[in-house]
Amino acid sequence: MNTFLVTVGVGLATAAILALSAVAFTLEYAVSRIANFAHGEFLTIGAYVAYSTQGIFHENVAAAAVIAAAAGAAAGLVLNVLVIEQFRGRSAITVLIATLGVALIAENVLTMIYGAANVTYSFAQGNLHHVGPFLWTTSDIEVIISALVVAGLIYLLLQRTRFGKAIRAVSQDRALAQVSGIPARRIIMQTWALAGAVAGFAGFAYAATIGTFGPLLGFNFLLLTITATVAGGLGRPYATLGGALIVGLAIQIAGTYTSSAYELVFAFLLLVLLMLFRPNGVFVRRSSVAVRA
Amino acid sequence: MLLEIESLTKSFGGVHAVRNCTFAVPEGQVLGLIGPNGAGKSTVVDLVSGFGQPDSGRVRFAGESIVGKRADVISRLGLIRTFQAPREWRNLTVMDNVLLGRRRFADESVWRCLTRARRIRRAEEADRAAVRAILERFQLAELRNELAVRLSGGQKRLLEFARVAAAEARLIILDEPMGGVNPVLGVRIGEAVRQFAAEGRTVIVVEHNLPFIESTCQQVVVMDLGEVIAQGPFSGLRDNPRVVDAYLGMDQSHG
Amino acid sequence: MYWVSVFTEAGIFAILALGLDVVWGWTGDFDLAFYGYLALGSYMTFVLTIGKPTPPVEYIIGWHLPVLLSIVLAIVVVVGFAAVIGAIALRNLRGIYFAVTTLGAVSAMYLLVENYTPLFDGFNGVYGLVNPGQTALNLTYNGYRIAFGVVVLIVLFLAYLLVQRLSRSPFGRMLRSVREDERAAAAYGRQVFWAKYRSYLFGAALAGLTGGLFAIFVSAFNPSAWTPQELLVIYAAILVGGRGNPRGVILGTFVVYVGFIELTRYLPSPASRPDFGPALRQVLIGLMIILMLRFRPEGVFRERPGVDSEREPARPLPSDAVGALAPAATGGPGVPGVPGVPEGQAADDGGSS
Repeated sequence: MNTFLVTVGVGLATAAILALSAVAFTLEYAVSRIANFAHGEFLTIGAYVAYSTQGIFHENVAAAAVIAAAAGAAAGLVLNVLVIEQFRGRSAITVLIATLGVALIAENVLTMIYGAANVTYSFAQGNLHHVGPFLWTTSDIEVIISALVVAGLIYLLLQRTRFGKAIRAVSQDRALAQVSGIPARRIIMQTWALAGAVAGFAGFAYAATIGTFGPLLGFNFLLLTITATVAGGLGRPYATLGGALIVGLAIQIAGTYTSSAYELVFAFLLLVLLMLFRPNGVFVRRSSVAVRA
Repeated sequence: MLLEIESLTKSFGGVHAVRNCTFAVPEGQVLGLIGPNGAGKSTVVDLVSGFGQPDSGRVRFAGESIVGKRADVISRLGLIRTFQAPREWRNLTVMDNVLLGRRRFADESVWRCLTRARRIRRAEEADRAAVRAILERFQLAELRNELAVRLSGGQKRLLEFARVAAAEARLIILDEPMGGVNPVLGVRIGEAVRQFAAEGRTVIVVEHNLPFIESTCQQVVVMDLGEVIAQGPFSGLRDNPRVVDAYLGMDQSHG
Repeated sequence: MYWVSVFTEAGIFAILALGLDVVWGWTGDFDLAFYGYLALGSYMTFVLTIGKPTPPVEYIIGWHLPVLLSIVLAIVVVVGFAAVIGAIALRNLRGIYFAVTTLGAVSAMYLLVENYTPLFDGFNGVYGLVNPGQTALNLTYNGYRIAFGVVVLIVLFLAYLLVQRLSRSPFGRMLRSVREDERAAAAYGRQVFWAKYRSYLFGAALAGLTGGLFAIFVSAFNPSAWTPQELLVIYAAILVGGRGNPRGVILGTFVVYVGFIELTRYLPSPASRPDFGPALRQVLIGLMIILMLRFRPEGVFRERPGVDSEREPARPLPSDAVGALAPAATGGPGVPGVPGVPEGQAADDGGSS
């Protein structure tokens, strides 16, 4: 039982990072109606920029996190302006392919700058702590807490602020929102910057957890992100958190009982199952049978 | 009776789109299906043609039950339907669009197309000749090698009729064929419907354009709020208080 | 010899591109599992030809069949695999959902192969298929490579003939109607799932064949050789050459594989960073994908629908002038398409969105 709870604890840490990435992905989908396959690159860029600047603030984790978020925000803005908006009105698949192209570019630019080999953070992992039945390192705890804080902030943002209302309006009907006086384009840009920031931070957190990473960090995390998003339901930020929790826990538990190498195999099988039986999310009562995206 | 619909019912999330719909169509008749917006006419068409599953009820086509069958299965039985907006295959030529209306399904297999290409091409000639004649009839012959996407709205409507004609169906259901159609085109469409009838085909026309219904249909079924409220020749409808009420009451009760 | 290698590789991937174009170009399904089919085809060819593994190397089967037979069996296995994935993914999923599901399936497969060493020796991969039959044919190493290159080009040509014939057949026409509008296709009696499924299996068969040829070409195969990114290069080739146009697809593949390789050969690569050049090539490919999609999604050579020509046209039709060049009897093959058809958003945004 003890090991199970420890496993759950690790799963929670994974779920926390996954939740951040998934919420960002869902925001991008909600506001632009596309699946951003370059989303993983926000994470990678955040991780690498934090790596490049880790000396500047003497391995201060908080500073690195802020830098990573800023880098992610910039990446989000650039992607939106240079690519997403250029493909307005095109089919979702076309944009998906375009974002795949962006992912290819981003991964390889990073390879050109940093090399294909893995790099390592010099941030301290921190000691292990017993928090109730769970066993976490300091950074695990920081990640979980920050994930909760960010999730809470996003909730407040979406529900309580005018910005949040505007996002919801634009995600429902861009033209209508524009006509009602909402500066849709600006809202979209800001949302992408926000999503990029969250994703950049998640990338840093993820990289800090594993310590060593390469240019494919984010892309490999992308499928996991998509699984969590689909589990919650595309375009629904709160349900996405639930989805991330389910996915994070499920793969951790499954991985412990077979081998951690197979974690991701379970994740992807879970994804396929979700697509077949619950394409609109686990929390929907009745899912439509035919999903024509 | 070629088509028999009995107690067809369908709800969407608590709203009854179709409720206890019952009527029958004898072979060779041209039947109009009319009613104000939201009456459930298009839903009935979808349910009958396999583009939706009814909650309950029976549908028989040529004596055979077709409830729950897939759209392509029903189509192969000889029931062809159109859609409210013309659904041409945009990046195929006009010729290909109408050719695909022909029922040459057996030749559409990978094996046959690879091993018997020449024989298939020869067999297809007969179809092509027939299609050219149909295109002549609808005055699309000159456009037969144009991509369908480049046709005007009216030409797309005619293309749809040509495709229907090519299918040589037993029962044709036209879903609002006069939508956005100018009077000249409307005359041609009326002729096309009469031609179908002359060939012995059964036609159901779902329409808002009442003069068109009057001039082409022998019998009319009127629906309102998901139910059939009247059946009979068009002339009798004007005196039917329920029908008048449904159409006049549109502004008040149907919003 | 360098050029032999380059053209052989391009030829092999042209076959893959033809298969992928059937699935994406004609039928409209954006699939991300195809490189997995190539990989499986390669792996199977290896384990059926190179005999029993010597520990610590491990892999399944380990027969000693003639390589041609191995390739045939490999294709069968690949089609079987695609049959499962296709049955799952094609039934109800379209667009993004379909793409994601295929990506999930192939990623699961990738990880399984990478981690479960009894299958194909995990990360080390399989190796040892060096020029099968070279001694039997009494060839030098280089002689074999040249002969193999010629064989690949011949196979490519045969594949092209097959695909072209299929493209202009009722099957090809039917697939495109499914791509353009599934509902209308169903309304006219087409079984949408079966159409997509058959096209998927046909493409997968070509992918399996490619895998077999690739196995001979590289003589070793491991997980680093296949990732979803590799498939993107093939999509780039299709995008450039012309979606739905077999000739264009082949041309596009050669442009990307031969042209881009050559282009990046002349780009500087710092001595300490051997991965710089290849990375730059990928960047350019990514750029090309985006630019093609944005400005010319139908590719250099557009999809050419068959032109209908009659024996004696009633009146001279401008579009028939081109058709009259072909043998008129049965509107034979090789009838050139209608030139100068502008825009039309050919095969880009149709259907699958």
